[in-house]
Amino acid sequence: MDFAFTDDEETFRTELRAFLDSEVPDWWRGMFVDDERAMPFTRELCSKLAGRGWLTMAWPPEHGGSGASVWKQAIVREEMWAREEPRGPQYMNLNYIGPLIMRFGSPDQQARFLPSMARGEVIWCQGFSEPDAGSDLASLITRAEDRGDHFVVNGQKIWTSYADAPADWCLLLVRTDPAAPKHRGISILLVDMTTPGITVRPIDTMAGPHEFNEVFLDDVIVPRDCLLGEQDHGWDLVVAGLTFERVGIARYARAGRVIELLVEYVNDAGLGDDPIVRDRLADLYARYEAAKVLNYRAISMQAAGEVPTIEASVARIHNTQLEQAVGHVGLELLGPAGQLRAGDRWAPLRGEIHRYWTRNIPSTLAGGSLEIQKNIVAQRGLGLPREP
Amino acid sequence: MNLELSDEQRLLAETARAFVDRHGDDDAWPTMCDAGWPALLIPEEHGGAGAGLLDLALVCEALGRGPIGSPLIATGVLAALSIALAGTHEQQDRWLPALATGTTIGTLAVLEPGMRDEWDEPRMSGADRLSGTKILVPWATRADVIVVVTVDGLRLVEMASANVQIDEHAGLDGDPLAAVTFDSTVAESLGTGDGAVTVAVVLDYAAVASMAYAIGAAERALELTVQHAKDREQFGRAIGSFQAVAHRCAEMRAEIDACRYLAYRAAWALEHATAPSEAVTTAKSYANEALRRVFLHAHQVHGAMGFTTEHPLHRFTQCAKAFELSYGGTARHRDRLATAMGLGRRA
Ligand SMILES: Cc1cc2nc3c(=O)[nH]c(=O)nc-3n(C[C@H](O)[C@H](O)[C@H](O)COP(=O)(O)OP(=O)(O)OC[C@H]3O[C@@H](n4cnc5c(N)ncnc54)[C@H](O)[C@@H]3O)c2cc1C
Repeated sequence: MDFAFTDDEETFRTELRAFLDSEVPDWWRGMFVDDERAMPFTRELCSKLAGRGWLTMAWPPEHGGSGASVWKQAIVREEMWAREEPRGPQYMNLNYIGPLIMRFGSPDQQARFLPSMARGEVIWCQGFSEPDAGSDLASLITRAEDRGDHFVVNGQKIWTSYADAPADWCLLLVRTDPAAPKHRGISILLVDMTTPGITVRPIDTMAGPHEFNEVFLDDVIVPRDCLLGEQDHGWDLVVAGLTFERVGIARYARAGRVIELLVEYVNDAGLGDDPIVRDRLADLYARYEAAKVLNYRAISMQAAGEVPTIEASVARIHNTQLEQAVGHVGLELLGPAGQLRAGDRWAPLRGEIHRYWTRNIPSTLAGGSLEIQKNIVAQRGLGLPREP
Repeated sequence: MNLELSDEQRLLAETARAFVDRHGDDDAWPTMCDAGWPALLIPEEHGGAGAGLLDLALVCEALGRGPIGSPLIATGVLAALSIALAGTHEQQDRWLPALATGTTIGTLAVLEPGMRDEWDEPRMSGADRLSGTKILVPWATRADVIVVVTVDGLRLVEMASANVQIDEHAGLDGDPLAAVTFDSTVAESLGTGDGAVTVAVVLDYAAVASMAYAIGAAERALELTVQHAKDREQFGRAIGSFQAVAHRCAEMRAEIDACRYLAYRAAWALEHATAPSEAVTTAKSYANEALRRVFLHAHQVHGAMGFTTEHPLHRFTQCAKAFELSYGGTARHRDRLATAMGLGRRA
């Protein structure tokens, strides 16, 4: 057992930090703010990362990667997430959309889709959830009719992050066989978002206007060569993809950065010796370390060639609740001025904590709710029977 | 002991609730004034209703269900109670009748940059001229009169004639808050003395009134949550039939009930008990944490929908957060409570 990063990995982190310190501008606050500079900035940064071989570094060389260790990839995730993910939506490409295409795509699809991801030139979104298919994703009804050399898609997706970025492509989950049992008869299509018949409607949220969207699909024609994997067997891909996704986000890293901001703040305010302030922040820090070490366990399994499933859910249970706790306790430490948002001149820490609290209200929902994670742990991990 | 509301109180609560159901978002203040709500805490000899804090709390609770924002607490508690407790007869005659009808809007400016909360020492000073900035002043944007807490005592600033700069804050969706900057602004003393006792009482009253408002918001959030748990189906059944979801709803019920009765008891204690602050501080210590949990549950059950601004839940969430961060955080109230419990006294 070894809880330290290697010298090589530490050197890499230092280099990456220096790069990001010089490249990420002061105004950057992540993708979900109303700032026209955000999207062009993420594109530019991704192509610079690609130029240095840091974007898809853990991908195999034949697909435009450098075969770096999953630990280096984890370092990238931590540094990015701590800075509010300056790669924007493209983290999804390398974490799971690309890997799904590598594992299940035809050679033609790999040649067509992977190089642009590796160069940092393309934005993908994930079209899974529907109004009536959230936690019960397999009940989705967006229909793709098989017309031989193409599919005709009709239906609606919701909560699609980045669709309004605008996304270039969508990993779209559709039903190809309505007669089959619900987990069968699902397929994955790779859909060009400029295809006629696609309408994107942004949904305004507590955190601002660019958090997610509705996507309407009206007689959208998708060529057969955009079917990923076997027709009617898309669910297996979904399960694989969601597992990649769960370990693919270093949510704890942003929580750790916010804890640092709070430490600076209370020290500046002369409250660093207040026993209650110390108690609150130390508690958050211990929870942060717990989340981190559980993420490292999942990554360690990946490094050993295993697929973390239950372990990924355990990590996620910690990550998402940590984020919420840091938001709540952070505001509590700021006191009444915690009410003030970014943009108010009296807002402590430029409203960062307020924004962090707001953004994380649904963190225990996105990417599979807390209850669903707990069900995975209880049923698959502990062998408990399902709810009747 | 009798925890039933009186017939009059029940009627008042029903009236307020019917009013909230009718009103929605439009400017409800004139109607609230017609109903006499700003006058509730003001003594009868000054044109008020001379009612109790519990009556006002019942109205606030109903308003929280809207939520309907209004200068009711700012005018009817913060300003009116300060003037009623500390003002000279002249000042009371001058301001209280106008505040009672709601034609005049008042508020209290307590917080300054660098103060941890409302109980912290103010720094602003000055006798008949004030300079400096007060922040997070509720309804300063519409106030005709502001009571200002200074180290030297309470000051009263009449807005019509004063040199005051008001900058509305970007805050939570709820009562408008503003930074109020004085620059050699003319002010008069409100009564004599340092005003500290008055401020402490006013803050306790305001804490209870705003708690009632937040409880109304939480109750409405519970209704929305339960309705959603019944209507929303996943895996072929209503999500409320999953125990994980049902228990969240039940915990909301249990927490809100606790908050409500602690708040009612605090309202009662402020007018009847010998050591009322203990009941207030107990209620606030409890409710700060409990309402946080209540809204975590509400959002969790609502799924992604509850995070959108197309769904009403977010408005209640913000009311509850504003309450939690105002009139003292958990640490402050637990500390006051520990003292009230006798901690720190040597045997
Ligand atoms: C910020 C954010 C970004 C998102 N981005 C995307 C995206 O890019 N693409 C995409 O496809 N989707 C996206 N989603 C959608 C996300 O995957 C869903 O919100 C999630 O799956 C939950 O579905 P739902 O919101 O419909 O809630 P529901 O499934 O209706 O759940 C409501 C409540 O019921 C509970 N529940 C449901 N079933 C059970 C059960 N069996 N046992 C116990 N409790 C249960 C849930 O835990 C939850 O508390 C995003 C969501 C958020 C919040």
